Amino acid sequence: MLVYLTKTGCDFEGLVHEHQAMVFSIAWHYLHDRALAEEVAQEVFLSLHRNLGRIESDAHAAAWIRKVAVQRAIDEGRKRLRRPQVTLEDIPEPASGSSASDPMLGSLLRRLVASLPETPRMIVVLRYQEDLDPAEIAEMLQMPVATVKSHLQRSMALLREKLARRSSGAGER
Amino acid sequence: MDWLEEELRRALAREDPPAGFERRVRQAVAQRRFPARQWLAAAAALILAVGAGTGYREYRGRVAKEQVKLAMRLAAASANRIQTHVRGVLQ
Repeated sequence: MLVYLTKTGCDFEGLVHEHQAMVFSIAWHYLHDRALAEEVAQEVFLSLHRNLGRIESDAHAAAWIRKVAVQRAIDEGRKRLRRPQVTLEDIPEPASGSSASDPMLGSLLRRLVASLPETPRMIVVLRYQEDLDPAEIAEMLQMPVATVKSHLQRSMALLREKLARRSSGAGER
Repeated sequence: MDWLEEELRRALAREDPPAGFERRVRQAVAQRRFPARQWLAAAAALILAVGAGTGYREYRGRVAKEQVKLAMRLAAASANRIQTHVRGVLQ
């Protein structure tokens, strides 16, 4: 069996194994489509394979893979924008391995995040999935830190409002 | 951190891709790495098709040659019969 190595000897299969959850989850939480997320994740690793010689360290690999995953997910989201739109209610929520304290709330939150506009959606995914701080997100998305912070604030306010509206709607029923 | 941030962290926790993902990535890499195999298969199919075409043409040529020989033999036999008849009439 062939083993493909980076400059520093990290092997390709090891990198796929280590980062598959990160790549798949960025695409899945951003696109809210598991099949599409797997396609995007495969493309990211094919791209990694093509660029393996440029990877200098494990940390460089992780940052490189995350950046490419973000770009590919955004590109795929834009392609999908040109196709027929779905409403929030149309977005399916398959069984998930997430550890949300309330599975219903977790599912609802993922759908609400999926309904955010593209830039704030990716910012929320990077903040709460990848635990990046606003400065790291700003660097990755090439925008000012203040813009990232304001997107985060607006997104949180919007999510709170939508949750409140849903819970009051459910209470009235 | 407030409750919504906590819940978002839980809801957006990393998940593994569907089973068999690593195998599918390996296959995709192998396919991309060895496109020559696909060209070889196509070339082999082309050679087989050309070879089969040539063989069929040769076969058709042999059949046509046999038919011409048969026609000539029949014509010669007819000519012999006519010649024999004419000789009989003249004598």
